[in-house]
Amino acid sequence: MMQQEYDVVVIGAGFGGPVAAKKCADAGLKTLMLERSENPGEKVISGLTIPIYGFLFGPSFIRDGNPPIERPVDGIRNYVIYDMKAEDIETVELRIPRPLSPIVAFGYNAYCKPFCAWEAEQAVNAGAELRTSTTAVDVIREDGYIKGIVTDRGEIIRSRIVINCEGSQGILAVKAGVRGKYPPQAISLADTYDYECPKEVIDRVFGHTLRFCWGFDELKIAPPLGHGNGLMSWPYRNSIHWMQDQCLALDNGQVPNLRRLFDEYHENITTQLPWWRDEIAPSAKLRARMWEGFEIFVGLDDRLRNMPNYTDGMILAGDVAGLESTGLCDGVPTAWFSADIAADVAIEAITAMDCSAKFLERYNRRIKAHSIIQWAITNNGRWNLRKAQESHDRKELRARVDYQFGPGILTHVGTPLVKSILRGIRKDPFVIKKWARMFLRYYYNWENECSSQDRLPGRRKKKGALGITLVFFDALVIVFSPINWAIACLLEPLAGAVNLLIKAFRPVVELGLRASIKMEPLFNPLSRWMIDSVKQADPSIFVSGSSERFRGQPRKDRVSLS
Amino acid sequence: MARTSERFPGVEWVGDTGVFIKIDEKRCTGCGNCIKVCLGCCFEIENKLARIKSLDECMECASCWYVCGEGAIDFAWPPGGTGYRSDWG
Repeated sequence: MMQQEYDVVVIGAGFGGPVAAKKCADAGLKTLMLERSENPGEKVISGLTIPIYGFLFGPSFIRDGNPPIERPVDGIRNYVIYDMKAEDIETVELRIPRPLSPIVAFGYNAYCKPFCAWEAEQAVNAGAELRTSTTAVDVIREDGYIKGIVTDRGEIIRSRIVINCEGSQGILAVKAGVRGKYPPQAISLADTYDYECPKEVIDRVFGHTLRFCWGFDELKIAPPLGHGNGLMSWPYRNSIHWMQDQCLALDNGQVPNLRRLFDEYHENITTQLPWWRDEIAPSAKLRARMWEGFEIFVGLDDRLRNMPNYTDGMILAGDVAGLESTGLCDGVPTAWFSADIAADVAIEAITAMDCSAKFLERYNRRIKAHSIIQWAITNNGRWNLRKAQESHDRKELRARVDYQFGPGILTHVGTPLVKSILRGIRKDPFVIKKWARMFLRYYYNWENECSSQDRLPGRRKKKGALGITLVFFDALVIVFSPINWAIACLLEPLAGAVNLLIKAFRPVVELGLRASIKMEPLFNPLSRWMIDSVKQADPSIFVSGSSERFRGQPRKDRVSLS
Repeated sequence: MARTSERFPGVEWVGDTGVFIKIDEKRCTGCGNCIKVCLGCCFEIENKLARIKSLDECMECASCWYVCGEGAIDFAWPPGGTGYRSDWG
């Protein structure tokens, strides 16, 4: 069979693969993306809120583009359930208040398939080749170097470098001897349900807020045996995504009978949880049930976290590199960040004509220097929460929920978040314009069920008050950009103190949060004006600065290969 | 023609996956861990050893591979374009 040659082979067209493929193709590299399913994203299963830091600090084509989203999310309402039958339930909430919410979002809910397909389309538009229904079954090794891959059809595809984004199981990475099999205690099995539900019911019950449930073991709410990672529900546009997940083994090595327990827990929660039973169940219809395993606690174990993420001729990005968030249980932002870094390193390696492990070590260094990735994969809040579920101590359970999914998260996410914001402004003071446009454009797309590139019939072309406000905002950003840049440079090294400051002034921060929620009714008119203005706007006002990239045209700094 | 399952609505299984999960009988101790974690009911015990019953409802999560302490389970991705798919993941 004829050999095929590429500069870069990217394995997987999930969330990470297309990011790497697009960047390599933009740089002028001959790039092939392989996907084992017939269409990108149809083997990706997740209950999915992609946290905002992924969009703000991730690949610019996502930030400046129009990915398909199901609902902007403004926060999390946790139900800490002490006794379900007695309805002894406490809520712990962290939410962006109006008038910022729902336009300024905490994250975006999405179905995996359309989102991954959209990403793959951007990579293809940039010049990457996408080959679906193709499984990479082995690597080609020559003199210890990985020089390409072998497909399930026996095709030999040679490349200068392979970027492996195959997903959490890492079957090819294990076969190639780069990674090992994880212990079952580190793996969570996510039992996922999709319920159709009328939008007006979701708007009324959820609004834009996620609902998570936590309880002691014997309540059989958050599955099971003190190792329950939780029960989470995500409002989408016309549906609710619902997930219970559980590690494959307990600390003592015992493997729980998940086949039986998941059914039991699902039955309990959907028939007993008051708001589900009374407000959702009458109008919800089960549409899909599926499951997937993911490497939830890999980052907490030194040995597992430090498994190699590169070798001679291959870089691993996303879940296959063990980058699932141990805290929030999301893998998308870390997949985006790492795939972006992997592409940078691949481009540098090909330019230097050196794809050795020694050269690729810089990938590992950059992953370790990335404040959000490191926060995401070393955060032990969720691990401690499962311990609290065993404790039967009300205060302990509430405190742990608060720490990980309530206001307490600010005491540990503050530093990486502020550091990333300052770094972003230092690198490009005008990025603030792009961030603002992103929030507005995504909200416009969500409200109008379209992409801002599609002009809606009959929609006015005038820029209106919002357009004028944005022009004024842009002027401020431009005028103050030297000052913003200087402040960012000055404060970035000090961002390490943000967590300490939030901890020290926690009562003041909480008072501020509570006050902002209490004051929401005062802002209702402004909130309505903002929502109506964005919904009715001429979408051209949401394109800022980076219009060249926004239209998916290649960058100018293409790599020249000798 | 895609196959569907009453137990798992919203999921289709397409093409012929072949037997992409294999059990090494010499290593299997019959502990049943694979049966406990397989939501697709792909395994059964016969003569005190695990065997593949059917991969018709397998969602390729590899949980069986992870929980097999004896390394008796060999898990590979099924051929391209085959196996489960869903629009609702």
